[in-house]
Amino acid sequence: MTKSALKIVCDSGPIIHLDELNCLHLLEDFQEALIADAVQKEVKRYRPLSLSKLNMPFVFSPGNVPNDTRLLTLCHIFSLDAGEMEALSLMERHPQAIFLTDDASARMVAEQLGFRVHGTIGILVRSIRRNQMEPGEVLRILRGVPSQSTLYIKPSLLDEVILKIKKEYNL
Amino acid sequence: MKTIQTEVPEQLYKKALALVKEGWFRDEKDVFTEAIRRFLDTHRPELMEKFIRDDVEWGLHGHD
Repeated sequence: MTKSALKIVCDSGPIIHLDELNCLHLLEDFQEALIADAVQKEVKRYRPLSLSKLNMPFVFSPGNVPNDTRLLTLCHIFSLDAGEMEALSLMERHPQAIFLTDDASARMVAEQLGFRVHGTIGILVRSIRRNQMEPGEVLRILRGVPSQSTLYIKPSLLDEVILKIKKEYNL
Repeated sequence: MKTIQTEVPEQLYKKALALVKEGWFRDEKDVFTEAIRRFLDTHRPELMEKFIRDDVEWGLHGHD
């Protein structure tokens, strides 16, 4: 399957979580994965080797605070950190991109501004539709989320996600 | 009111104290109460569940 035409702007969470789950390669499906300075620093602190992997569409961008006053205000109200602010600043410049974050506050701000936002779970599930992984493999990885990653998801909700995938693919 | 004992990073505590010294809050207890209130506002369980369900829907049936 050819690459998706989509660009993504990454917050640190999904990169860290996908790397913990050995699934960072799923981002290869996107044209570009834009990473702001502060996000890069945060990822390097927790997963030093993740950003140096080959064939990844990472594009490193200088960190800027958002230009839009409304966005900047929302960032402060929701106490977003430097990485989230710089990532949202990139979204200002690439509004057609998808913002990847696992942070609820950052996601709220981004959705408030009309940006498309998804997280680690979305990328994992999407990999089936994009023929990157088999449903069974994704189910195995999802079951490992609590023990093999720092992504927190309520156990009953994770069970619901797993059940939904099983039903969807008659497993 | 419930009293809790916890540990916070030194830098975080210093920042909270600075806000108190500048007169934005009565004391550091108020800073941490406000911080927790804001965190809980943006981390409502139903909201986080909605985000995950939206992700699954996109993952399964998105058009990209």
